[in-house]
Amino acid sequence: MIVFDRVSKSFGALRVLSDLSFHIGGNQIVGVVGPSGSGKTTILKLITGILAPDEGTVTVAEGVVGYVFQEPRLLPWRTALDNVAAPLRAQGKTREEARAAAGRWLERVELGGFEHYHPAELSGGMAQRVSIARAFAVEPRVLLMDEPFGNVDATLKSSLMDILESIIQERQTTVVYVTHELIEALRLADRVVELVPGQGLRELDLSDRGAVAREWLAGALGDLVL
Amino acid sequence: MSSTTPNRRKRLLFAAGGVVAILVVWQLLSLVVSPVILASPVDTAVALAGLAWGSKLWIELLITLKRLAIGLAIGVAAGWVLGIAAGVEPRVRSFLEPLRWVVMTIPAVIIALLAMLWLGVGDLAVIFVVAVIVFPTMYVNTLSGATSIDRRLTEMGRVYRFPRRLMLTEVYLPGIASPTVAGLTLAAGIGVRAVVLAEVLGALSGVGHAFSRAMSYLETAELFAWIVVLLALLAAIEFGVLRRLRRRVTRWRKADS
Repeated sequence: MIVFDRVSKSFGALRVLSDLSFHIGGNQIVGVVGPSGSGKTTILKLITGILAPDEGTVTVAEGVVGYVFQEPRLLPWRTALDNVAAPLRAQGKTREEARAAAGRWLERVELGGFEHYHPAELSGGMAQRVSIARAFAVEPRVLLMDEPFGNVDATLKSSLMDILESIIQERQTTVVYVTHELIEALRLADRVVELVPGQGLRELDLSDRGAVAREWLAGALGDLVL
Repeated sequence: MSSTTPNRRKRLLFAAGGVVAILVVWQLLSLVVSPVILASPVDTAVALAGLAWGSKLWIELLITLKRLAIGLAIGVAAGWVLGIAAGVEPRVRSFLEPLRWVVMTIPAVIIALLAMLWLGVGDLAVIFVVAVIVFPTMYVNTLSGATSIDRRLTEMGRVYRFPRRLMLTEVYLPGIASPTVAGLTLAAGIGVRAVVLAEVLGALSGVGHAFSRAMSYLETAELFAWIVVLLALLAAIEFGVLRRLRRRVTRWRKADS
């Protein structure tokens, strides 16, 4: 489905990815964790094709890609409905067909009634839900999510993750979920890989997710645990 | 929304007060200054009524409007198209920068005199002056808009494989709509000033020429009446057309209280 073969990528003097190789099978949900600057977003952009590797190859099976960005990236001058509809029109749907599908997806993310609101009239969490609806409305073969809940509070994050989980379970989609919160990845993903700066990729053993979570929390809380 | 209405009423009240203050000061000054130098508001109103009642005002105004419209259309179109091109392609921007600098630096009166030298007296010279003077304003505003389009939105469009047409209609054109209208607003005001200047110096008809003629014959009340006509023209363009356009183009923004 997605194959990285000895991929390297630099931005100026900064080498972000070095000789990276991994594969993701069809319909897998893979969490990618790592600190800021480790190359998580770069991996997603290489998958979309908007970035090309400096060395190596990235192979992605044919199909539509959906992307949930860190920030909603909604067109401010379009309503929620038209924001979700825009990528559908890019696929060749008529405006009416696109809007009908967009309306169904907005209902799905519990934004029924807000179709004609502009992004400036939506809260941050609502805008991110529109972004999620947009990513799913294109019926993606591959869904990429780049820290989608980084800017929302814990309560809202929990309800958004519930929505996301239920949608992912319904669909046959390969998901690559980037986050620096391991707990999120453990909740959603079949596999979790960790990007370690200077060391490449490390697959986590998820046979005991609880233990992995506890170990991560201990590391995150540090001296507070005592 | 209900809390904004009293604020808006208050603002309008103060604006009306400002207009009344101008009229009062004008009237008081006209009592102590020679009418050759300063016509009173009453004399101006009488002269304006005389112009409006006859055909003179409408004929001259139509001539000026025609020249303004054509000159604006040429200057705005050229500025907009080249502004977008320069925004998209840095080499175009570099190529146009000397021209932009020259046109913005040369005083408007010099441009008007050159127009007379090259094109004689009449419509063509006036239209040329308006187009040339308006062009850099529109160009600069459009360029600014084109280079300020949020790169995160263009990236989103690329990720979702927006075709060129959709990128244009959903990202680029709406993205530069506000700066375009801002440029239009500035261009309209500059255009009116330019057409009057060009007509004063190089035309035998139009509002500018009428202004110049009234000045020559020391018909001060008529001169002031033509000033009022100019202000009314600018107000009609600003409040009748451009503000509505600006509101329409920016209605997606949260309303300020």
